Amino acid sequence: MRLRATIRNVGYEFGSLREVFAKANPPKSGDQLAGIAARDPVERVAARAVLANVTLEQIRNNPVIPYEVDELTRLFEHSLDEAAYSAVKHLTVGQFREWLLDSKTDGHRIRSVSPGLTPEMAAAVCKLMTNLDLMTAGAKCLVVVRANNTLGLPGRLSSRVQPNHPTDDVAGILLSTREGLSYGCGDAVIGVNPATDTAESTAEILTAIDAVLKKNGCPTQHCVLSHVTVQMRALSELRCPMDLMFQSLSGSEAGNKAFGISVGLIDEAADMMKRLGSTRGPNRMYFETGQGSALSSAAHHGADQVTLEARCYGFARRYDPFLVNTVVGFIGPEYLEDGPQITRAGLEDHFMGKLLGIPMGCDACFTYHARMSQDELEGLKVLLGAAGCTYLMSLPVGDDLMLNYPSTSFHDIPSVRRLLGKRPAPEFDAWLNELGILDGDQPGERFGDPRVIRP
Amino acid sequence: MSHTRTLVEALRKRLGGAAPLPPPAPTPRIPEPPVRVFPRRNEKTAYAKEAATHTTALLGIGHVGTRYATDVVLQFQAELAVAHGAVAHELAPDFAARNALLPLESRVADHRQFLLRPDLGRRLSDESVHRLRAGATKSPDVQPILADGLSAVACEGSGMALLHAFTRACERRGLTVGTPVCARYARVWLEDEIGEIVGAKVAAILLGERPGLGTGDGLSAYLVYEPKLGKTDGDRNMMSNIHARGTPPEVAGDRLAVLAKAMVDQRTSGVSLDLSGLVAELGEAASRAPRAPQERVRLVEVDR
Repeated sequence: MRLRATIRNVGYEFGSLREVFAKANPPKSGDQLAGIAARDPVERVAARAVLANVTLEQIRNNPVIPYEVDELTRLFEHSLDEAAYSAVKHLTVGQFREWLLDSKTDGHRIRSVSPGLTPEMAAAVCKLMTNLDLMTAGAKCLVVVRANNTLGLPGRLSSRVQPNHPTDDVAGILLSTREGLSYGCGDAVIGVNPATDTAESTAEILTAIDAVLKKNGCPTQHCVLSHVTVQMRALSELRCPMDLMFQSLSGSEAGNKAFGISVGLIDEAADMMKRLGSTRGPNRMYFETGQGSALSSAAHHGADQVTLEARCYGFARRYDPFLVNTVVGFIGPEYLEDGPQITRAGLEDHFMGKLLGIPMGCDACFTYHARMSQDELEGLKVLLGAAGCTYLMSLPVGDDLMLNYPSTSFHDIPSVRRLLGKRPAPEFDAWLNELGILDGDQPGERFGDPRVIRP
Repeated sequence: MSHTRTLVEALRKRLGGAAPLPPPAPTPRIPEPPVRVFPRRNEKTAYAKEAATHTTALLGIGHVGTRYATDVVLQFQAELAVAHGAVAHELAPDFAARNALLPLESRVADHRQFLLRPDLGRRLSDESVHRLRAGATKSPDVQPILADGLSAVACEGSGMALLHAFTRACERRGLTVGTPVCARYARVWLEDEIGEIVGAKVAAILLGERPGLGTGDGLSAYLVYEPKLGKTDGDRNMMSNIHARGTPPEVAGDRLAVLAKAMVDQRTSGVSLDLSGLVAELGEAASRAPRAPQERVRLVEVDR
């Protein structure tokens, strides 16, 4: 395979597909930190031109991390749907991009091809897309999941209530939860990042949230985002209610090892949820990801952060998850420097996840040492909503008291929904209307009044 | 007229001809909306009382349509500005000299690079290596390092107070304290190289922590036994939230000295350091438990 392009009589030759993948990325501080980014904008375009002429079959045969050294690469190879793969393997990445954008290609057709794609294929086509391309193709994808309610239907935008508290004060967590629900937020999950990573604390928080949801007949899910082994202990030994089980994923075996997980462990966790989880399902798992996580534990194998992120989704889809979201700006400016890089990454992650068949949401956020403004962050929320993002986060004024970073607020969710003509998940929508929180697609009489939710 | 032209003309007529919108209706005087201030001033309802007791989350702030009241927007923007301002502020070049500290620099060239290249912030520049070798006392029990970290505001604010408190507290416990140094564009792990060069038993870096909303003046401290390149986070003990509203510098300095003494006595640090007998002396520093929420203060007042 010759990997060479010429621009204005200057030849650009690349040593490997992995190098082409890295250099085809839009500028990312994380790729620069890893020393694998294109040296200038022209070399970047040359890499894209080369990539546009590579076939999906060649990509399958050249994964960015070798089969022999990585269990995720082996997982992707062994679980690929050969029939779906044969329908697209002859296409070049450039042709595949055009097929995705073609008006005749709808969500059902993409869904039938999706199991035949490796994560590297999703990453490759992502690199040839502009932001509006990513939104156009992402909005077509059809991924619908069900636990206590149904997420991902056309015309819907859901949200996670994230009532984190710096000391896990359960009363404080419940107050934030009730307030979030009163703004119409929380149809994806009531999901708490605990300050203390113990099974006892996990069970205590879940039991308290479960009681409030049951008492109010609220059709949603709950989750405490402690380490998966801690949740497994809370579920199997303390027998607490647990609608969704959570874990952060990385895009390489070594990256997952740094997180203290493996394919075998998550297999075991998913199996336990099938037996002991408190929803009817069939979707019961929740995963978070984010560009740069593999590099931060030196587990990137010279691969770029967009491709490694797609590999997280390849891992996630094994478990038919109910929720997957990228925490896009949380990792810091050494991986995503500023507003444009964080915005681009959010749209990339949403598109790649949906293309690979998972119900992709996004924590649109930044850290205070990244160069992003509140206005830029609000813009990203609207872009994601327009791109068909399954869910966003929601917190009081978007401020996470425990993790110290700004995200989406209780007020942002109804604002974006109204701007884009979107509604909450249907079961949750009906519940909100019954309580008077919503009146059709307008705020109802009890909108923003947490006392409407009984403690 | 062509068919299309006829269609367009008919449409124009149906859409109101030259005036596609009806004339605006006269507006009566708009009443002043109810006062919505933050933080909550009237803690009257049971919900508001409970919220005030259990969380510093901005609950009960109400809404205008689906958005925030003006006062909430201003308060929020002020908190954000404080955080961004703290990150953007750079340590004054003469700060070390003014405070009689040995000035050191990492391999970082400028502030942008400092944010983007944590690896360079963990190593000393060649010039600083020479300066440290020539100017610092060798083999102290404790090598104190004051540094900017992610908030030079915090370093300039209470950095010297913490350094003095820590130094005095170490000396009271019979520990020898090395030449105080001040490092610019520094990350936590820079203490490994500094401590290794001077041959200290314990290196202690006191540096500005990543600002949160409304809080840009917090310091953190990281201590490591037998500092040398290659130490990891598991080898360190740390204390965060050092400022007037969290743990004041005087108290923090004392607790950090207790940690340093324990490291020297037990010849280890990090996860293998046994602090069980020191809980009373250490307070919060003994556990890795989460910190209590800070009180939220109103930042914006307009004089009329």
